Amino acid sequence: MIHFEDLRPDVEMWFGPLTVSAEDIVRFARQYDPQPFHLSDEGARDTIFGSLAASGWHTAALTMKMMIGDPNQRVASLGSPGFDDLRWRRPVYPGDTLRVRLRCIDTKPSQSRPSMGIARFQVETLNQNDDVVMSFISIAMIARRPGN
Amino acid sequence: MEKLYWDDFEVGQVLNYGGMTISREQIVEFAREFDPQPFHVDEAAAAASPYGGLIASGWQTAGLFMRMLADNVLNKSTSMGSPGVEYLRWHKPVRPGDTLRVRHTVLEKRPSQNRPTLGLVKNRFETLNQHDEVVMEMVSIGMFLRRPAAGKDGAA
Repeated sequence: MIHFEDLRPDVEMWFGPLTVSAEDIVRFARQYDPQPFHLSDEGARDTIFGSLAASGWHTAALTMKMMIGDPNQRVASLGSPGFDDLRWRRPVYPGDTLRVRLRCIDTKPSQSRPSMGIARFQVETLNQNDDVVMSFISIAMIARRPGN
Repeated sequence: MEKLYWDDFEVGQVLNYGGMTISREQIVEFAREFDPQPFHVDEAAAAASPYGGLIASGWQTAGLFMRMLADNVLNKSTSMGSPGVEYLRWHKPVRPGDTLRVRHTVLEKRPSQNRPTLGLVKNRFETLNQHDEVVMEMVSIGMFLRRPAAGKDGAA
């Protein structure tokens, strides 16, 4: 388990990979983002996407899934107050294989809760061509190691 | 009905829409797939956490906000997606049975520099619960088509 004490600027972690299917894209979009370009190739044809593309929120949820789902790199997360500067840089298309690069920007102790600290991470989601498809600055509350 | 173009949004305009209730089953289903932290999937662990009970993944709150935006605005518009979000804050937890709505304020608009057919709109989106508490706040940019110039041949 990775605790607050283990983090310092430039600590880097990789997560994934995960391949996105057309079915996944459409299933997410039907529930959370039913815009035509997230539902079918036809609906995307005359748009800047050109063919079916994932909702940006789906890419964000898949990024969370990769970061949280690796049993060998569990971060003692206590949740997050939010994020800054999220950019959807390129579309995610069916068949794309994503992975995540997490780099610690800085850390500070919590003023109000001595059992945790706040860390900021640069999160980048990349596709199989090493293009960054999404990036954001994550703000995370991380537990200190018990007993310290 | 004619779709909303970039030209139709006005700076200072406030739109109120939504009204989606989230169930315990929806919270757990989303979290099992995307964000299986104990306080999103496990009732007992959530009760023992600082949150005091099961809460929705913030990414699901973002998804529900997006659904309300898509149903009420974007699918009645010439939306071409979004380049990103300046900031997002999860101010309060979303719990089973909460009913969410959106307060949408148009902050700024400008033509796209590199795509003459597009314009950009900067919006503040506040997602509120049934107690009128802001649970999530974000500022983000949307891209829309500009209305094509009409009657170029002078016919009037």
